[in-house]
Amino acid sequence: MTADAPILSARDVRKRYGDVVALDGVSLEVRRGEVVCLIGPSGSGKSTLLRCLNALEAVDGGTVAFEGRDIHAGADDARLVRRRMGMVFQNFELFPHLTVLRNVTIGPTTVLKLGTGAADARATALLAKVGLADKAAVHPAALSGGQQQRVAIARALAMEPALMLFDEPTSALDPETIGEVLAVMKGLADDGMTMVVVTHEMDFARRVADRVVVFDRGRVIEVGPPKQIFEAPHATRTRDFLSHLGWHGESIDIGIKEKK
Amino acid sequence: MNLQWNVVFDNWRIFLDGALMTVFLTVTTMALALPGGLLLAFLRLSPYRAVRLAATCFVEFFRATPLLLQIYWVYYVLPAAFGIQLDAITTAILGLTCNISAFNSETFRAGILSIRKGQWNAGLALGMSKGQVMGRIVLPQAVMRVLPALASTWVSLFKDTSLVAIISVPELSYVSLRLRAESYRILEVLTAVAVIYWLLGYPQAKLVDWIHRRWKIVE
Repeated sequence: MTADAPILSARDVRKRYGDVVALDGVSLEVRRGEVVCLIGPSGSGKSTLLRCLNALEAVDGGTVAFEGRDIHAGADDARLVRRRMGMVFQNFELFPHLTVLRNVTIGPTTVLKLGTGAADARATALLAKVGLADKAAVHPAALSGGQQQRVAIARALAMEPALMLFDEPTSALDPETIGEVLAVMKGLADDGMTMVVVTHEMDFARRVADRVVVFDRGRVIEVGPPKQIFEAPHATRTRDFLSHLGWHGESIDIGIKEKK
Repeated sequence: MNLQWNVVFDNWRIFLDGALMTVFLTVTTMALALPGGLLLAFLRLSPYRAVRLAATCFVEFFRATPLLLQIYWVYYVLPAAFGIQLDAITTAILGLTCNISAFNSETFRAGILSIRKGQWNAGLALGMSKGQVMGRIVLPQAVMRVLPALASTWVSLFKDTSLVAIISVPELSYVSLRLRAESYRILEVLTAVAVIYWLLGYPQAKLVDWIHRRWKIVE
């Protein structure tokens, strides 16, 4: 594979739940080191696409390839791909019966068959990286939401993934803890991690994303660099969505907005 | 009323042997019915319809018919219909195990189903197999969640072992009823046996409560 080939490539992905069409032919390519933010109204298919990207959801049509491997070819392919693709969930989904340290080591020990010593060392380093070295021995219930989400990020990173999926990682957080999670994510992006982020944090998308993908009703309505999406969106629905969120581009460049 | 408690104290050995048999039946039955219940629960959650159906029939039969009848059935029908002759203690353990496995399977199944999908997704997203997610993530939480229900089944079982007296298994009830018949000291013997059941059963219930408080998973 050449350096420029996409690490992840979704083509014409379709997904329906009964009569509801969740994804109506979505295509997306992600290159190594790229940060792609998926934005759009609730129910527009962003999170569904994310779960199709690591085969937590089966697709009804289309293909998803990761590092050249068809993810939906079979259970073994899905498992191999998931080892290389970390996922962070809206509700953290830490394992409540395990300590913070064991939450982070369970992937390496059970899936990668790493020894306990090596897994502990890896987990300890990652917990330090997300600022929670002192919480290794406690259970998740003793942590704040922001701390839990940072453990969840460390848990995913412990598999040393080539790509990270974030499914609205700050939507369930108290406002005062959102920043600490976004800071960890920003640090990851700065380290060159390839990331696909479903988010309602427009400021994060504007500052960190290389590309922003706008969803509406199961389709991608606009793709572009953040500057385009937030300052001069092509699609009317993008403008409507952003203004509905109270985003009028005022924090970027009022001049451009006034020209339009 | 003329009470003669010495009938109880003079026959302490009979009560002790009976109590030991009761404890043996309870422990053996539960030791078999925990894996049995778990197996039935997995079968009922199987993706294969025929497997689910067979397990459901087993469970619903044993849950919906009286234990007394099941013990009789194993004792009298198995030899008559299939030529399988089991001794009374084996019959008792078999009957009790089938019954308690059926109840345990429902408990385990409810526990497993109570673990939210997100926990499955989190395990699968790490690259775990379904078996690994079940064994490492879902089942440990499910078991802790249903421990109180398993404990009440245990305490019920401890008392229900008295039903196997009808096939002459020499457990606490059987030996007591026999002593009553021989000695005619109805009040003394029955009071003594009630006290023994309570003394044995109450600490068990408390112990399980303690285990649950001590190891409860907080979310």
